[in-house]
Amino acid sequence: MNKRTSIAFAMMLPFVLVSCGGSGDYKAHLDDYVFAMRYREGFNILQLTDIHWSYNSSTVASKAYLDKVFKEADAHVKANGGKLDLVEITGDQFMLANTYHVSSFFDYFEAKAAEYGFQYAMIWGNHDRHGLYHPNWLSEQCQKAIHCLYAEPEDNLYGRSNFVINLTDDGTKTGAAKWQIANLDSGASFSETAFAPFRDYDYIREDQVDWWVREHEKAGAEVPTIAYYHIPQQDNLEAWNKAHESGSTMKHKFFKLEGFADNGNERYASKFIAEGRKHHLKGAFMGHAHNVDWTVDYDGIVIGLGVKTGTELYYAHVDVNSQDPAMQEGLASVGINENFDLIGASLVTLHDGEAFDLEHLYYNERATNDFVRWVKW
Amino acid sequence: MKRFFDKTNFIPSELDKNATLQNRFLTGLLVLFFLASSFTFFNALYGFVDAIGSIVSASADVAIYDLLRSMPLILSVFMSIWALLLCHASFRKVSEEKWHRSLVKDAICLIVFAGVNTLYVIIGLAAGKYLSIVEGAPSPWFPLDSVLYSLLFIALGVLVLLYEKKWVAKRPCYLPKRGEIVTKARGLYCTFMSFWLLFALYGFAGGLFSIFIYDFAHGYAFYGVMTVLCFLLSPAMLCVWEFYYNNLKEDKKKELLLPLALCGLMVAILFIALDMVALSMSLDAPSNAGFGMFPIAFAASVNIATLLQVFVPLIVAIVALIKGIRLRKK
Repeated sequence: MNKRTSIAFAMMLPFVLVSCGGSGDYKAHLDDYVFAMRYREGFNILQLTDIHWSYNSSTVASKAYLDKVFKEADAHVKANGGKLDLVEITGDQFMLANTYHVSSFFDYFEAKAAEYGFQYAMIWGNHDRHGLYHPNWLSEQCQKAIHCLYAEPEDNLYGRSNFVINLTDDGTKTGAAKWQIANLDSGASFSETAFAPFRDYDYIREDQVDWWVREHEKAGAEVPTIAYYHIPQQDNLEAWNKAHESGSTMKHKFFKLEGFADNGNERYASKFIAEGRKHHLKGAFMGHAHNVDWTVDYDGIVIGLGVKTGTELYYAHVDVNSQDPAMQEGLASVGINENFDLIGASLVTLHDGEAFDLEHLYYNERATNDFVRWVKW
Repeated sequence: MKRFFDKTNFIPSELDKNATLQNRFLTGLLVLFFLASSFTFFNALYGFVDAIGSIVSASADVAIYDLLRSMPLILSVFMSIWALLLCHASFRKVSEEKWHRSLVKDAICLIVFAGVNTLYVIIGLAAGKYLSIVEGAPSPWFPLDSVLYSLLFIALGVLVLLYEKKWVAKRPCYLPKRGEIVTKARGLYCTFMSFWLLFALYGFAGGLFSIFIYDFAHGYAFYGVMTVLCFLLSPAMLCVWEFYYNNLKEDKKKELLLPLALCGLMVAILFIALDMVALSMSLDAPSNAGFGMFPIAFAASVNIATLLQVFVPLIVAIVALIKGIRLRKK
């Protein structure tokens, strides 16, 4: 290669690289995003969110905490005649982690899944991409894990963890769906322009909404759906504002001790919840803002943040003596009269028809007796 | 290669066998400790920034817990950088007497840092902060690995002290003659150089890691390549100015200052422009490339962080350009 050719090649290289990589159309292979599980009355979904294993995490201590949460949740559902069927891990499992943490995480969840007999679904949060591993490697770990439900076809659909779990009468994809669990990747961050010094939080894109509507129609237009994703969309704040207007009768409960950390820009408002109203979306649960587990019935759809799982990165200390009106409002809604930390898990129990129960578990490790409270929605 | 080492004054060809061996050894150590410093600094920033994230989110208790846990990572940086400075001093000082004093001082500092780290882990274990010597974060052997790392540096420090006490008379050192560091605005110069070193260390490790962890598919290739290159620019320019230019003989320095400054300026401007073009083509690109200047920033400010990596060499090039023009006028 002479000098002139080398220079021309070097100049063209970026454009050659940009054009690399083919992708399929998601509309053409909707089946590739579908998992099936057998539905039964009282199907239990435990939501764990924002576990945040990082460079600083003591995996030993964190696993010990998760052990207790699983034990408590298992005992709770068994007392009601059920079992843990599905665990939804709704993003930010990792931040500033390395392959060691990821491998340990999957080893641990595989062991727990075998022990309690559940399957688990993994959703990407905004921080799961921020670690010392290639994101494709993380995807591979999800797909390799025997008990993990995760699909990421090579496609033109925005994001990674977009898949549905159809709960059917016979547990097969061809069976009649009773419920659908929609999992969406609400992304990480994006730049508005090339001159933007900062990046905005991502949001559920239009193609993702279109994909889910198609998946839902395929499962059955009347099938009730529960959705899980990581970053709250603009609907949470809208609902909060409406719920706090004078004369509002909207049912709402739990804590909102910080902002929802959504995109906050009208230009990037997601249509997911609005479309959901037309397609039997019954509930949408997310994570992201650790100090929030506030839940609201927003025009027929229950929207809420799960309880942050574990003590990594940050979490709220609920103080009964606080003068913060938001803290007092939350305390009044849950009826707890002692200080505790806002960490634990959330449980959704599906019933025949379109009804479901929601409970928040506050689990705090203490020197003598652990603090354990289940609070019904 | 021989001409290169001659030009850069690292291993001049007029040296005798022993002195050549000594300078080869020191140059090798310099490279080794640059790599060690780069990766330990990168690791420590991870731990440190995780703690900052907790403070920003009003969980100071978690931040303190995190900082206490990751203290061995932070102390490892001091050990690595001190070892880097110890080697660098061998090429830096003009007076041999000053060099010997500096060697002893740096070796003692190294032993103290490593000792403190070892002691810290022992106290941490006794206090139950680490549940076992191989608890498993941030590596399967942490914090045992940091203790082993510390012991290596204690050994190095002891070796240097032994050399000074017992062997220095038998094996005299050859020190290349290099100019003293600037006397005018020395504080500002040293502060800037320290920051540049940190940028370069982080840029090197961040850029290198990004090659392996960035998603170059899905249309993000150009952006990814540009981000990685931006991060590698700072260490690359540091090598050019510090390891090449600053080791040149005075007449050669005068000759090369202006061309090097112009080249540096053009490269920095080109990188900034290309990075902006790449970003405009991939606004939703994953933000794990380059990691941002601070790891936590990849959630929000990766764009400005990437450019920061280029701004430092840009400033250096501008200063060099002004100096070069003034020299040419004289």
